Amino acid sequence: MLVYKSFREELGKLLVEVGEKVENVVVVTADVGKPTRAIMFGERFKDRYFNVGIAEQHMIGFAAGLAAAGAIPIVTGFAVFIMRGWEQIRNSVARMNLNVKIVATHAGYSDHADGASHQALEDIALMRTLPNMVVVVPADVADLRRCFEKLVLRYRGPVYLRLGRDYAPPVTEDIDYEYEVGKAYLIREGYDVAIMGVGVVLHEALKAAEELARLGISTAVVNILNVKPIDVEAIVSVAKKTGRVIVVEEHMVYGGVGGAVAEVLAQRCPVPMRVIGAETFGRSARSHEELLSYYCLDRRSIVKVALEMVKSGGRDS
Amino acid sequence: MFGALNGISTTVVRGDAKPILKLGEVVELEKIVAVIEEARKNLLTMYEHEKHVHLDSSLSSLEIIATLLLRYVKKSSADPVNRDWLILSKGHAAPALYAVLAELGAITKSELVKINSTTSVLQNHPEITTPCVDISTGSLAQGLSIGVGIATWIKRVGGSGRVYTIIGDGEQDEGQVWEAITHAAALGLDNLIVIVDWNGHQLDGSTKEVKPKDYLPFVWRAVGWKVLWANGHNVPSLIIAIEEALESDRPVVIFAQTSRKNGAHEANSNVS
Repeated sequence: MLVYKSFREELGKLLVEVGEKVENVVVVTADVGKPTRAIMFGERFKDRYFNVGIAEQHMIGFAAGLAAAGAIPIVTGFAVFIMRGWEQIRNSVARMNLNVKIVATHAGYSDHADGASHQALEDIALMRTLPNMVVVVPADVADLRRCFEKLVLRYRGPVYLRLGRDYAPPVTEDIDYEYEVGKAYLIREGYDVAIMGVGVVLHEALKAAEELARLGISTAVVNILNVKPIDVEAIVSVAKKTGRVIVVEEHMVYGGVGGAVAEVLAQRCPVPMRVIGAETFGRSARSHEELLSYYCLDRRSIVKVALEMVKSGGRDS
Repeated sequence: MFGALNGISTTVVRGDAKPILKLGEVVELEKIVAVIEEARKNLLTMYEHEKHVHLDSSLSSLEIIATLLLRYVKKSSADPVNRDWLILSKGHAAPALYAVLAELGAITKSELVKINSTTSVLQNHPEITTPCVDISTGSLAQGLSIGVGIATWIKRVGGSGRVYTIIGDGEQDEGQVWEAITHAAALGLDNLIVIVDWNGHQLDGSTKEVKPKDYLPFVWRAVGWKVLWANGHNVPSLIIAIEEALESDRPVVIFAQTSRKNGAHEANSNVS
């Protein structure tokens, strides 16, 4: 069995790396230091590591205070419970444009065993409505490594970084790309249909594109990566080229990446569009991959939707 | 109001603090009291122009805000860890803050009557875009957590700043207050002073009607805070309590008993 790199293991390493570089970087967590791997920072920098207990709302406000006083706090927690502090993120962080970095792990179906209570499928919609907030969803570990230091040390302002738990199949490892806030990038060229998305489902998108190629359909794949601010020009230019867009996301189809892309295309370049995502709460499973196919977020489902779109004509109909 | 000086022995539960009012400080006390009287007039004038200000809650916090700003909150340094912070976690008392700031020259008096108009820097809840507002508040309990964060970083880097946070009594219905005060106690934040405007009212009615909270001082004490009492409309009483708080090796909460009708007869009840 292929062993994939893990989002949280990489996060633990990256936290230590930025901690080594800048001494006012601190890590805050709410009794999930071990599962988020924030503890790796805590073991290295004991006096810059704050475990607030099981108290997510306070964790956000506490981090806002640390930032106001001059620290660079990295808040780590499960995406689903970070949502519990959404109004604190709004009023205590985003409203004052404070330099708080929120790293939400276990997002989407990645906490596969724990079921609906632990699977965050609404967080992108919540976070991308907030003024000042930057929302970033890396596709794989390489993508995370590219953006992390820039978002923490060089970009000043609140960030929501959405990560899975462990399952992180390679998507962008071989791509030479330098991260820039607000930029999407093409991970596969194509002319008949474009698949756009964020996170591990892009692995399925690439597999679907290979399958479609065998069927004679040229498929572009776009890593949206920055959900907010979203790369309007990149989305419009790919949509113009392909004339058909499929968005695939490990998130509710309401208000997530599909919504964000639709907002762009409806106003700038209306083309036939489909959104593949969650329409209800999750459930327990033995693996993350199992849930992706259970909820039709796998390559087979994407191929099916693409074929339907091509068959119905799309751009020239 | 100067009769307040005589009230020290009768209005304060003092614990074991040393006497702190010296002859030389009477002038300052007079000045604070004079500012409060002018600020009260400012508040009533603001209310004449704009009925949406939370007059009752502002009146009950007036002396607390003025005493802190005139005597304790030092912001001479731009360094965030070597200056003091005043966080109005009960953000709906913002008009009282503005009324005092106008007396200190931080904002112009002519600005006061423009409150809540789109051309004014003064909004019904504090925004950091207003001069001398340290933290934007308005959503209850959040200022307290922010204060814990600031005090923590100041302590961690060895700064000299202190954090003063004003909260309401109704505000403590919020679960986030519990999250914040237990954390502050665990961190041993001796540079954090919370003053509770204990006015006995929240939006829907008296605290007794909505949800009684007489147990609150015991809760704060049980989780590790030093608990003091003061008369929230009596400047010497507030000073004595704050002086004692400054000597504490733990976080301190001062329950300041207040009245919403403080010095004014008209009250507003339909602001929200």
